[in-house]
Amino acid sequence: MATLIVALIVGAILFGVGLYGSLSQTNLVMIMMGVELILAGAMVNLVAFWRFLHPEAYSGQMFVLIVMTVMALEMAVGFGVGTARFRYKGSVEMEEARDLKG
Amino acid sequence: MLQTIFVGLFGIAAIWFGVVVFTTSSMVRSALALLFSQAAVGAMFLAMQTEFLGVLQIMMMGTEMSIMAIFMVMYMMDPGGLMGMDMTHQKRISQVAGVLGALVVVGIVFLVGWGSIAGSVPPDQQVHGLGIELMERSMLIFETAGITILTAMIATIAVALERRQ
Amino acid sequence: MTYVALTILGPLAAMVAILLIRRAAPALALIGVGVALIGAITTLVNVAGGARYAATLPGLPEFPLRLIATPLTAVLSTVIAVVGAFVMLYAIGYMEEEGGKVRFFVQMSFFVAAMETLVLAGDWVLLLAAWEMIGLASYMLIGFWYEEEGIGEAATRAFLYTRTADLGLYVGIFILVSQAGTTEISDTLEVGGTAAFAASLLILLAAAGKSAQTPLQGWLQDAMAGPTPVSALLHSATLVAAGAILLIRAFPLFPPGTLLVVGALGGVTAVVAGVMAVADRDLKRLLAASTSSQYGFMLLALGVGSPVAALAHLTAHAAMKSSLFLGSGVFQHARGSTDFSKLSGIGRERPFVFAGFTVAGLALAGVPPLAGFWSKDAVIAATFESPYAWLFSPLALFGTALTGIYVARTLRLLWKGEKQDEPVAGMAWMGAGMSGLVALAIILGFALEPLAGLVGGGLPRDLLTVVLGAAVAISGLALGWFVPADSLLGPVRASAEKGFRIGGGFEQFVARPALAVARVTDAFDGGIHRGVLTVGHAGLAVARASRITDEKGIDGLIFALVRGTRNLGRRARRLQTGLVHKELLLAVTGGVLILTFLAVRTLVL
Repeated sequence: MATLIVALIVGAILFGVGLYGSLSQTNLVMIMMGVELILAGAMVNLVAFWRFLHPEAYSGQMFVLIVMTVMALEMAVGFGVGTARFRYKGSVEMEEARDLKG
Repeated sequence: MLQTIFVGLFGIAAIWFGVVVFTTSSMVRSALALLFSQAAVGAMFLAMQTEFLGVLQIMMMGTEMSIMAIFMVMYMMDPGGLMGMDMTHQKRISQVAGVLGALVVVGIVFLVGWGSIAGSVPPDQQVHGLGIELMERSMLIFETAGITILTAMIATIAVALERRQ
Repeated sequence: MTYVALTILGPLAAMVAILLIRRAAPALALIGVGVALIGAITTLVNVAGGARYAATLPGLPEFPLRLIATPLTAVLSTVIAVVGAFVMLYAIGYMEEEGGKVRFFVQMSFFVAAMETLVLAGDWVLLLAAWEMIGLASYMLIGFWYEEEGIGEAATRAFLYTRTADLGLYVGIFILVSQAGTTEISDTLEVGGTAAFAASLLILLAAAGKSAQTPLQGWLQDAMAGPTPVSALLHSATLVAAGAILLIRAFPLFPPGTLLVVGALGGVTAVVAGVMAVADRDLKRLLAASTSSQYGFMLLALGVGSPVAALAHLTAHAAMKSSLFLGSGVFQHARGSTDFSKLSGIGRERPFVFAGFTVAGLALAGVPPLAGFWSKDAVIAATFESPYAWLFSPLALFGTALTGIYVARTLRLLWKGEKQDEPVAGMAWMGAGMSGLVALAIILGFALEPLAGLVGGGLPRDLLTVVLGAAVAISGLALGWFVPADSLLGPVRASAEKGFRIGGGFEQFVARPALAVARVTDAFDGGIHRGVLTVGHAGLAVARASRITDEKGIDGLIFALVRGTRNLGRRARRLQTGLVHKELLLAVTGGVLILTFLAVRTLVL
């Protein structure tokens, strides 16, 4: 029980740190790092749930695999967009990216 | 008991390095801090007897963060953080949001009744069981993830390619 | 006895071949008409040997088409083939430097085929069809140089004149066929009584139109606008002869009353057209008037009851007048005109052509022993045998004198004056064609008697008329040579030059009504056109109205929707910054709100 609580608290704090990072950083890559931390917190929670609540069902681990896939994709697409943006503007500072306003 | 200590230690390491990511002024350092943070998460997995995912997490994040460091250096004019510039905005509200988020989740953790805790897991059947799960019940999801990766690869290349007339 | 068909099929095949191959047109046309000539001569020889030929071809139900070879049709067919062959030979030279060879030779071949069909036709349907075809060919060939000003009008005028007269043929044939119950010519001719009288008058109308008899003579002079070979073949020897041929073939039908009309018409034409010829200032128009006059002689012969004399004169005239036309064609090429004022002295310049022209002219005037002497003599003799000799003989003699006068006048005008040598292209072909016909004009006189015998009945002749005719002709020649036309005709001249177009000319009687009918139909057509236009306009108005409702209604609605959406978008854009971190914050806030709502709901419930 104690281990589960510890793991969940660690996950919650990782989530909080990630949320702060992704909201406060001005750089695209740094924002992505924040998102990575949020996802890491989620994964910690998922593993803890699997291990301590339903170790007989492997869907928990499967879920973690999917989250890892999402992380990888987020990295790849994020860097693709970043490269295009860098080519176009010479920087990936989000303060300058007002294009979405139209 | 030992398991709780290890999970807690690795958890503290992960949180510490996660905080360092946003407090250091050097790009390379923050990338490395994230790498360590993710590795600590992987170690937590191992401590919770999830060998496959733990090893996978450490290997993947190792590679991923190295690539991230390379991109950081590429995009930023100041990789060493020598200019000491502040790269944050809406700091206050972000801090509030982060702390509040963490507190809410912690609150939920303590408020929810978790029920009975399962005993130890037979370690020699784990990878086998995961394989059976992936190839039987969750095969559709797994395959969908594969297709999504392929799509993302193509889309990423298409986005990143230099525009031609 | 397929050679009878050759006379028609030869030129027809040539026409098709020229149309398909589109080159070597003169050679093909010459071959075609040569085949026709061989066929015609073979037919004539066989028919002279006693053979008769009749073919029934499939045609309209109960009205089969017939081709017959009797002595009469064989002689006519030969005349056409001979003149056609020589003129075609001449045309090769004449057309050497002209454009549109393919068109010209196609139409000429077509005409020869149609004309042969006309003379060989054994029933009225086929004859009528051929009659129309030669009319068409005439129209096309007169209008050959259609690009030039006035040519198209001349062709149309000639066509309208003959078409109007053709109505007589239609009605006449209708009467005959409905009375006799068959279309075979020889059977229908036995119809008697009132039907025969009416039909014969109507047929006379058609013949007068085709043969340019008074008062329908005007079109022939207009027809001179066509190329000279066309004038030589169509408008002297063959197409114009169709009227006389029709009368000769239908002669058994004619009751005495009609014959008197025929004779009077012919006599008047011989004199009136002769006076016109004396007055004319243009060589080809003079020859055209002379042609009318000579066909007047043929009608005169028919009127006094001697179709054989008419046939003899037709045959001789074909050779003589064609020769004259061919000669005038050479002069035309040399000077670029047929106006007498431009032709002075041409006789000295081209002695051989002029010699041929002179011989043919003298033959036409009736100088012995040339062809015209014998045929005209036969006509004069026939008039003396008639019970109406007091009427017809003076007309015939006067006409003969006029012939002499205008021939001599022509020769004088052509001979006197300065010569100016200019080369003429294609002289060899033209010379060949012309000399052949001139030779015929000289010797044909001796062949007329056997021809008459073949057709049945000898030529009328007596010593008095021989002497009288020759004397009148020669005195006419002398008069024409020494006395100018102005002093000869006096006040009549101006009117004669215009072709005696009484009361505004025969435009009044023929062209005007035809044009009036055309106007009425045009107005009717215009009415229909306007009606259609009105319906169209109404449809357009409906379409316009529906378009307006479409634009103002449905389109307006859609555009309003679009405008609204755009405005909304513009306003909504002001709410957001476009910055990623702000959006993220909003997303987080949204997520918090949702979670709070869910949590509260869970706790409350």
